[in-house]
Amino acid sequence: MWHFIILVGILFCSYQAVRDKRLLVSAIWLAGTSALVSIMMYLIGAYQIAVIELSVGAGLVTVLFVFAINIAGDEPIPNLSFIPKWLARIFAVMAILLIGWQLLPLLDFPINLNQDEGFQQLVWENRKADLYLQVVMIFAGVISMLRLLTDEYQIRILHKEVQE
Amino acid sequence: MLQIEPLVLITILVPWFGASVVWLIGDRYEKIQHVSAVVFSITAAISSIAMLWVYKSGTVLSFSMGSAYGDFTFISDGLGLFLSIVATVIGALAIIFSVDYMHGSAQLGRYYSFVLFFIGAMVGLVLTSNLLLMFIFWEITALCSYALISFYNDDPKAVAGGMKALIMTQVGGLGLLLAAALLFAYSGSFDINIFISNPSLFPSNILAIMAFGMLIAAAAKSAQFPFQTWLPDAMEAPSPISALIHAATMVNAGVYLLARFYPAFKDVPGWTMSVMIVGMLSALMAALMALVANDLKRVLAYSTVSQLGYMVYAVGAGDILASQFHLFSHSVFKALLFLAAGAVIHSVGTRDMREMGGLGKELPFARTVFIIGSLALAGIPIFNGFWSKELILEAGLEHGNPIWIYVIMLIVTGLTALYTTRCVWMVFYGENKLDRHIHPVGRNMKIALTPLAIGAFSTWILIGPFSKMMSSSLPVHSIQEVNLSELFNHVVFAPATWIALAVIALGIMTWFGRGTLTGIRQALKPIAGMAEASFGFEKINKFIVGATQGLGESLRITQTGKLNWNVFYILVTLVVVFAVLMIGA
Amino acid sequence: MNISTSMIVLIAVMGLFGVGLYCLLITRNLIRLLVGLQIMVKGAMLLLVFVGQSQGQPSLGQSMALTVIVADTIVAVIGLALAVQVKRIVGTLDIADISKLKR
Repeated sequence: MWHFIILVGILFCSYQAVRDKRLLVSAIWLAGTSALVSIMMYLIGAYQIAVIELSVGAGLVTVLFVFAINIAGDEPIPNLSFIPKWLARIFAVMAILLIGWQLLPLLDFPINLNQDEGFQQLVWENRKADLYLQVVMIFAGVISMLRLLTDEYQIRILHKEVQE
Repeated sequence: MLQIEPLVLITILVPWFGASVVWLIGDRYEKIQHVSAVVFSITAAISSIAMLWVYKSGTVLSFSMGSAYGDFTFISDGLGLFLSIVATVIGALAIIFSVDYMHGSAQLGRYYSFVLFFIGAMVGLVLTSNLLLMFIFWEITALCSYALISFYNDDPKAVAGGMKALIMTQVGGLGLLLAAALLFAYSGSFDINIFISNPSLFPSNILAIMAFGMLIAAAAKSAQFPFQTWLPDAMEAPSPISALIHAATMVNAGVYLLARFYPAFKDVPGWTMSVMIVGMLSALMAALMALVANDLKRVLAYSTVSQLGYMVYAVGAGDILASQFHLFSHSVFKALLFLAAGAVIHSVGTRDMREMGGLGKELPFARTVFIIGSLALAGIPIFNGFWSKELILEAGLEHGNPIWIYVIMLIVTGLTALYTTRCVWMVFYGENKLDRHIHPVGRNMKIALTPLAIGAFSTWILIGPFSKMMSSSLPVHSIQEVNLSELFNHVVFAPATWIALAVIALGIMTWFGRGTLTGIRQALKPIAGMAEASFGFEKINKFIVGATQGLGESLRITQTGKLNWNVFYILVTLVVVFAVLMIGA
Repeated sequence: MNISTSMIVLIAVMGLFGVGLYCLLITRNLIRLLVGLQIMVKGAMLLLVFVGQSQGQPSLGQSMALTVIVADTIVAVIGLALAVQVKRIVGTLDIADISKLKR
């Protein structure tokens, strides 16, 4: 029963995030989606990842979105898309139906709530290359974060330099 | 107490750290950029020289990447160590030279950080024993080479030259990637040393594919036949870059690759013969092209291709020591020649030798060092080029190698002497055709040129420690230790040496007697014409480059710049793929 | 009809994926594109965890999902930084106007 309610919540929140005209509200709906996804992960037994998703996906990313939207400001963009809406709908539905068809064999497997002990071992030992790449990615993120925080005045100076 | 493990890391990471520091300093502080680039490169040079006291064979450093990927391993044996010293020391000298050469040039940050990035990658390339990591470093050096050839990015010739170098070396990189993938598929790891000590565990056809894939990679990187035409076009780079990347280090990576894998591939039928023929053809063709070229740096580029041909030939002939010893000598004297040529070009402002002439009086220092480098290149006794070239020629006579290739290589030594003499004469002697103002040679240029000039005299004295390092740390390469007196006996009392010297003398005399030899010159006109047209290989290489760029240009239509449509195309592809899967199922 | 947990999770995956895709197809606002991307990636993440759980290798699925979370967050950071800079320099977030900048 809980599962079903969460499913409906996920679909509703994500749809609202796409549909709502105000960017800020849309970011809040995104946070809601993320939180519900993390609860679902918890329910199928992925406890560690659920916590990380809740704090990073629902927390940090939302803060970033709100922050960026505050800086960039919302603007009314005409609701006309390049692609006709009916075509977009048809293709989106077609894509998920095809994916669903590919996922069909997975239905036969029940979810196993038992944990194995290997999570830490796997993350820290067996997949070290992933870990190093993540460190590199975090560096890239920090640098672009700095760029995000660079205020308008400094940007103007940089601009002048480029033009000269 | 010196430890090898930190030294390996310092030598790779200090230049990389320096690259980001110089970049971040910003172009407003030119002086700090110059100084910090020099400091970082000298630190790397010192730490790589320090490795000489603590080198050992086998893996010295291993970073676990988890069971799914294997280890990233580093080695410090003779082959890699000596190349890393060449890369860092000549890199440091090239950077010192740049302080004068690039003085007042715009965007120094970009220049210095790519040079430092290159030095670190080159050291990594020769000090790693993981083939995947080697491939990554290999591609980083290609990237830096491209970025530096096109450094003057408002000059269309420089951009085209960089593009050509990038595409040609990528073609070769595919060969290396193929070999790495096969190594992983058949042994479950990327470790080179394990592979080299037991190549017989591999099926012979797979071994052959790997061997020839590596040969393609090496030929493309070292500008050997049939890829030789990218190197002359790379001469649009600033002169210190030509000296560092396109004479002393990156182009040697191909020879290094062949030497490193020689024990594994020597029994592949036809491989050593192919290597020898590739080296022979490159040496011959490039020497002929150098005879007719009029651009000072192009002459040096052709001679680089030709000398690299000698090294490749020596690997094919089975003498790794001779090949590496010539690589060592060549790095020193060719870096000297390029930097001296850079000083001359900086002074007179042109690269065309027909507009030079009689510069010896105005630029006595440049003349002296250039002539020292030329004598080493031509193989005149006592200079380092003489000893190493003789070792290669003798290797060509041993081990039952075909005599006709030896004869051609002998003729090429004569040609080398001839074009070297022509080049020196056209630049420094004869009439002065230039009435422009001539800048004097800068102080930092002299600081960089002096050790190289001394090196061109004397590096052959190091044969004893050099061969000891090679033989003691490379057990499977079967390298013999040679000391100085053995080298002396070996070279001076061999009849081959005297034949070679006679050919060299003949080559030099041909230049001075050119007035009386008009009949022969007329007879050789068609060959000269063919050499100017690069024997038709320019066309083939141009075709590859053109096809690659044309493909990219025609695929540009698909980039609408509107994200919605791009996502839509991805989606359509997804639907098609699934539809195919559905029909297949 | 008996609705199992597996089916609910798979429907959630498909729903997230479809909504995200739809968003990427129709929106012209740079920041909203990132929202769509986030939604799509959440679907992929949920699927990774689900496959890990149901195939008896929960740790592998979770470690993959961890990598996805990190990558996804960094993508959001870089994307937002770019969007903010675009807004400052070009003055709009509409991709129709930005794409006119190409040669």
